[in-house]
Amino acid sequence: MRMHLIQKLELFPDHRVTQMLFKEVKNAAELKKSAMEGKINGALINPTMLVDPFQVLVAANKAVHLEKVEKMKTRTLYSEIIFNLSPTNNISDAFKRFGISDGDDSVLIVMVDSKDESQDVSDIAARVEGRQVPVEELSSLSDHTKIKKLYKVTPQEEKCGSLLDAVVCRMATKDVMTGLLPAPLLFFGHSLNVPFCPLEQFKC
Amino acid sequence: MARENNMAVPEFLREAELLKQGAEARVYRAEFLGRPTIVKERFPKRYRHPALDEKLTHRRTVQEVRAILRCRRAGISAPVVYFVDYTCHCIFLEEIVGSSTVRDYIASAQQSDSCKELKLQRLAERVGQVLAKMHDEDVIHGDLTTSNMLLRPSPEGGESDLVLIDFGLSYISALPEDKGVDLYVLEKAFLSTHPNTEELFEKLLKSYKASSKKSSAVIKKLDEVRLRGRKRSMVG
Amino acid sequence: MTVVIGFEGSANKIGIGIIRDGEVLSNPRRTYITPPGQGFLPSDTARHHRAFILTVLKEALEQAGLKPADIDCVAYTKGPGMGAPLVTVALVARTVAQLWGKPLLGVNHCIGHIEMGRLITKANNPTVLYVSGGNTQVIAYSERRYRIFGETIDIAVGNCLDRFARVIKISNDPSPGYNIEQMAKKGSQYVELPYTVKGMDVSFSGILSYIEDAAHKMLSSGQCTAEDLCFSLQETLFSMLVEITERAMAHCGSQEVLIVGGVGCNLRLQEMMGVMCKERGAKLFATDERFCIDNGAMIAQAGWEMFRSGQVTELEDSWITQRYRTDEVEVTWRD
Repeated sequence: MRMHLIQKLELFPDHRVTQMLFKEVKNAAELKKSAMEGKINGALINPTMLVDPFQVLVAANKAVHLEKVEKMKTRTLYSEIIFNLSPTNNISDAFKRFGISDGDDSVLIVMVDSKDESQDVSDIAARVEGRQVPVEELSSLSDHTKIKKLYKVTPQEEKCGSLLDAVVCRMATKDVMTGLLPAPLLFFGHSLNVPFCPLEQFKC
Repeated sequence: MARENNMAVPEFLREAELLKQGAEARVYRAEFLGRPTIVKERFPKRYRHPALDEKLTHRRTVQEVRAILRCRRAGISAPVVYFVDYTCHCIFLEEIVGSSTVRDYIASAQQSDSCKELKLQRLAERVGQVLAKMHDEDVIHGDLTTSNMLLRPSPEGGESDLVLIDFGLSYISALPEDKGVDLYVLEKAFLSTHPNTEELFEKLLKSYKASSKKSSAVIKKLDEVRLRGRKRSMVG
Repeated sequence: MTVVIGFEGSANKIGIGIIRDGEVLSNPRRTYITPPGQGFLPSDTARHHRAFILTVLKEALEQAGLKPADIDCVAYTKGPGMGAPLVTVALVARTVAQLWGKPLLGVNHCIGHIEMGRLITKANNPTVLYVSGGNTQVIAYSERRYRIFGETIDIAVGNCLDRFARVIKISNDPSPGYNIEQMAKKGSQYVELPYTVKGMDVSFSGILSYIEDAAHKMLSSGQCTAEDLCFSLQETLFSMLVEITERAMAHCGSQEVLIVGGVGCNLRLQEMMGVMCKERGAKLFATDERFCIDNGAMIAQAGWEMFRSGQVTELEDSWITQRYRTDEVEVTWRD
C-alpha cells in the first residue's frame, strides 16, 4: 500500500497536495518548533481532529485559492490550511485545535507543491521520529466525539449525511456563517453611493 | 483585481460538462478533489446595471450557502458545499448521484398507472413534511418548484431521500407571511407544471399542516395571498 | 371574411377598433388625463368614456370605411378592470349589437393584449410578459389555457410607476410612464432600491413605499436628481421583470418572448429583454404604443379568434366583472 496520498488540485492543475501520516511520534515538540521557525515546508496537523483526508484537500484547495486572490487570513499557505480546517474565524484557536501539540504521538503532514516550488517529501519525512502508516489509517485516529463537539454537529444532521459531510460543509461556508463576509467586491468602477442599504431590509 | 488574477475556476469550467443554463446560473458537472461535483456559476447578467448585478449575484451566492448549511443542520437533505469562490460567484456542491427531480418523478408516475395514486400521495406527504421542517427552521426557500427537489435512491434500497436544491433566492425569516408566500410560489409552480394535481397538492399541504408546529398562521397567510392574487386583476 | 368591432374601456383609455381577418382597419382612442399628482377615479373615468365613446365609434367606422351592416360581431371588454368604465362601454356595445342585430362577445382584456401581440408580431408560442397599470404577469400557453407562471404578489408594475410619478409630481400627459422613461434617459447615478423576486413572482409594494419615503429626502439633500430616481426605479423594476421572464422561459423551455401591455412600450424594458433574449438565443417580440397601450383593436382581435372558434355571448350573459383572471378563459382557438 502506498504511504503517501497525492491529489492534484483540479482548479490549480500545477499544484499537488501530498499527505503523510505518522504514528508513535516521539519528537512532536521539536517538529512543532521547526515548523514555527519555518524550517518545515508543510502543515503539521493533529490527526485526531480529522475525519478523512478529503477534509485536508478541501482546506488546501481553499488555501491555494485564497493565496491566488490575495485574501489569505494568515501569513503562509500552510498556516492557512490549518486555519481553514477550523469551523471558526479565530486563528489562535484553530492552531490550538488543529496544529500539533508538544505531547502528540501522531501527526499528519500536508505539503503543497507547484511548478515553481517542488517539495522534497523524503526530507520532511526524515525529520519525523515515528512510524509512517498509510493515510487511510487516519479514520482509526479520529476522535469523533471531539470533532462533533467542535463543529457543533447535531444528531439530526447525521441522519442526512456523514460526519465528513457535516465537517466539510462548515469549513467551506464559514466565511459567511459567522457574520464575517468577504471584503466588499469592486463594482467594476461604479460606486453605490447610498447612505444606507435598503437591500438589507428586503429579501431578494 | 481579484477577478483578473483568478482565472482558475473559469479555466476549470471550460473543460467541465455543462448540464444546464438556467435563468441566472450555469450548472456544470466535474470532478473536484476526486469527487463527482456540481458547479453552479452565477454569471453576470448584462441586461441589468452592473452595480445591481454584482450586488444580487454576491448576495444570492451567500444566501444559497447559508441556507444549505442551515437546512443540513436541521436534518434536511441538501447538497454538501465543498468550496465557494466569491470572486467569480461559483459554488462547488456535492453531486446527488443517481437522483431524479420530483418533477420528472411525478410526470412519469402520471404516465404509468401501477399504484401511481399511492406513490404520488406518499411523495406529496414527504414533501409536505420536509417543507414543514424547513419552515420551522425559518428557512424560506424562495424558489420552490418540483424541479428544485431531488429524489436520491437510498443505498439500502428503501425509500429514497428528498433533497432540496437551488437556494439562491432563500433567506431567513420567521414571518408566517414569508412562509405562506413560499408555499404559494410552490403551489403555482406545482399546478402549472403538473396539470390536474390539485388533490395531490392538497395532500402536500395537509401533511405540511400536520408536521409543522406553526402551520396554522402560515396556511392562513397562504389563503390571504391566494385571495390577493384574485383581487389583483382588478384593473386592466 | 369576418369583421369584428372591439370596444375597450377598462381603464383610462376608451378605444374602438375594427379587425378584418388579421387586418386592422381602424383603431381610434382617447385617453383620460388627470393633473400631475392625481390618479384616475372610476366615476370620472366613466364620465370621460361616456363623453367620447360615440365620437370614437363614428371615427372607427369612418376610418374603416364600413357600415354597421359590414360588421359580423361586436366584442367588448368583459374584464378585468374598473367597474364603472367597464359598465359604460359594455352598455354601448350591447346597444349597438341590438341595433345592428349582431352577436355579442365578452372578451378578457388580458387575452386581448396577448392575441393582439401575436397578430402584430407573428410570434408563434411566446412566453408573454404582460405589464400594465393593473397587471404584471408572465404567461405561457399550455393545454387550452394561458397559464400564469409568475405575477406580482401585490401591486402592478405600471401602478408602481404611476404612483411614483405622483410622488414627485411628474406629468400624466401623455402618460406618467412615458415621462418617467424620458427622464430616466437623463439619469446617470444608480440609487440602490429594494429588489424583491420570489420564484417567478415579484413584489413592488416594498420598492414603492421605500421610494415614497426616501424620494423627497434624497432630492432635497441633493443626493440625487429626479432623473436619477427615474433611472434607478426603471433599472430595478425592469431587472425584476426580465429575471422572472427568463426564469419562466427556462422553466417552459421557451425561445420566444412577447411583451404586451402599456408598460411594454417602454424602450428600456424592451432593450433589457432583448439583451436577455440574445444571451439565451431567444427571440423578442414587442409592439409600439399603438398596440401595447389599451386599444379597441385588441378586443376585436381576441373577439375575432373567439367568434371564429364558435363562441358568442348571449345578451343575458353580457355582464362585466372587475376580476377576471387570464387563466379562467378556455382558449378554444389554439391547439
